[in-house]
Amino acid sequence: MIAENTQTQMRKGILEYCVLSIISRGEIYASDIIAELRSAKLLVVEGTLYPLLTRLKNNGLLSYNWVESTSGPPRKYYTLTELGKDILSQLDQTWQELAYAVGISQKGANS
Amino acid sequence: MEKTIIINIGNTIIHIEESAYELLKIYLNEVKQHFVNHADDLEIVTDIENRIAELLTEHLTEEKKQVVDANNVNAVIAQMGRVQDFDGAEENEEEPVVNSNYQFHAEKKLYRDMDERVIAGVCSGIAHYINTEAKWIRLATLLTVFLGGAGVLVYAILWIIMPKAKSRIERMEMKGEPANLQGFQKNLDEELLAVNQGLAIAGKHTGSIFRQIGIFIGEFFEWLGRFIGGTGKVIFKVIAGFIIIFGILFLLALIISAAAFQGFWDSSVYEYFPFSIVNENSRGVILFSAFIVCFIPILALVLFSIRVAFNKQAINKTLSFALLIIWLAGVASAGYYAAKISSEFKQHAELTQSADLKSFKTYVIDIDKSKYFSKEDSIAYHIDANQSRQIVTDDFENGPFVSPNNVRINIEKSENSATRLTQKYESQGKTFSSALQNAQNIDYKYSLKDSAIVFSPRFQLRKGTIWRNQEVWLNLEVPVGTRIILKEDAYRYINNYGTWDCGETENDKNDYTVWVMTEDGLKCVAQLKEEAIKKNKLKQELLNLDFLKKNRATDTLYQDSLSNRIKEVKEELGIKVE
Repeated sequence: MIAENTQTQMRKGILEYCVLSIISRGEIYASDIIAELRSAKLLVVEGTLYPLLTRLKNNGLLSYNWVESTSGPPRKYYTLTELGKDILSQLDQTWQELAYAVGISQKGANS
Repeated sequence: MEKTIIINIGNTIIHIEESAYELLKIYLNEVKQHFVNHADDLEIVTDIENRIAELLTEHLTEEKKQVVDANNVNAVIAQMGRVQDFDGAEENEEEPVVNSNYQFHAEKKLYRDMDERVIAGVCSGIAHYINTEAKWIRLATLLTVFLGGAGVLVYAILWIIMPKAKSRIERMEMKGEPANLQGFQKNLDEELLAVNQGLAIAGKHTGSIFRQIGIFIGEFFEWLGRFIGGTGKVIFKVIAGFIIIFGILFLLALIISAAAFQGFWDSSVYEYFPFSIVNENSRGVILFSAFIVCFIPILALVLFSIRVAFNKQAINKTLSFALLIIWLAGVASAGYYAAKISSEFKQHAELTQSADLKSFKTYVIDIDKSKYFSKEDSIAYHIDANQSRQIVTDDFENGPFVSPNNVRINIEKSENSATRLTQKYESQGKTFSSALQNAQNIDYKYSLKDSAIVFSPRFQLRKGTIWRNQEVWLNLEVPVGTRIILKEDAYRYINNYGTWDCGETENDKNDYTVWVMTEDGLKCVAQLKEEAIKKNKLKQELLNLDFLKKNRATDTLYQDSLSNRIKEVKEELGIKVE
């Protein structure tokens, strides 16, 4: 239970970074983002993604285009804005630092 | 077999089984409620709905079927995740974000409240604006309707100028709630609460008995409304059908009668009363305008009924406008001629001539019912003028199509001892001279056979004269003491006495009554006799009473009643009471 809680916290912390990273590779549809996240076992249900995407968009990190779909309603295809790219590069740096910090914490500073 | 419902989700039309629909509805309500506290609830929920629509469509194409069932919905829910699963991701994101799309303002605006309307929501809109309950505004409106109806006009104007509160923002502006996030939340919470209550009642039947009764009444009236809406339309259409049929028949009748009038030109139709007023030279125009005045409104009614019955416009606007113009022209023309004809009744003229009659003690007044024929008429009716025993009679009733033909007889007391008969001819006309001319054209006959005066029941108008309210007054002056035998036929012509109540009860069958001229005017002899007999009886009673009074002077009680009766009798006899 305690482990689960920490796991959730950790996943949640990097979810936003992962989403931005996925989108940074090119215009993408929400369900494709979900598919990738699911294969990475970061996300289990789709419902969680939509609030996140909306918030990122409203904060100016993302923008989207409506694209006609052959099956069903038009789809929102997301791309990163300049601000998004900027923040992503900052996050990249933070992730490097974190990975380094984790490596040091696990193996010791001298090794 | 299961009932399916058609839903519109994410702008996609999807057929769904009822049980699956219930599942989906509950899920979506949960999702909505979950994101209520979120800044971008609408957008998120829309995204989720769109995705659900897409997933359902995918399921349908994969399984090659038409209708979504409960399994599909459950699969979709599993994929999207339960609300409980959402919690992990966005827990700490609840900083109140101000959405810059909506401005802060708590300023109230005047909208019509479509949710609480009775007619068009004007009253409840005003109530929101001035912060009162709608019922007071409605009451005030109703009062103005009774106080002359100005309220109806005001209501109609407000109906036109006040916009409907359609969107949520407009409804909030109407109620004066600030159109920001908090206001939105409040509004949405209210809606969700209402939805949930509805679900609870419909699904679990846990509502109180009163609420259930309320729902029943609501449904009943809804049903009643639908029923009336359906049958009402049918009734209107049936009425419209009847109007069409009878209207067309009436129009045909109008055409036929107009043609008939045109055909009977200068013929017998114009001898009948309402038409006999019309001057010969304006008959064509009047006929034509009267035809237009009657024809076009009925035509319009028929066309309107066709529109009601078949939902189809029978003629275009230009044509109907032209019809209106023609009708107005017809009205103007008819009005002009009506004024012209009525102007010919403006002046009044009288023509009087009198003749002294031979003196007799008794006169007989009778009416000659036999009809006199001119030579032409006699031939037309195959009457042999030489055979004097043949008599044709006429009942001379004043029917609806007979020109008013007034012959009145006055019987008066002669100031000198001579008997005199005065004839007075009266008529109307455009000018005095034409009125006099019309009066002179009255042809009236009476005959004297010894003491019998035989009056003709009607007067004739000489050829070419039209009816202008001509009247004949006959004034018979007889000296006091003269007896007059009045034949039954003459009763109705006597103007200044009520002739019918002079009946002799014992020999009722007489076709005459006997009258006598007194200083106080003409008296019925039978009545005079009756009065004399009655007077004698009263006098006899008075003598008896006087006798009794003297004989029994001591009995005071008896004396009183005797005195009273004596008083009554004396009053009736016209004797002064001391």
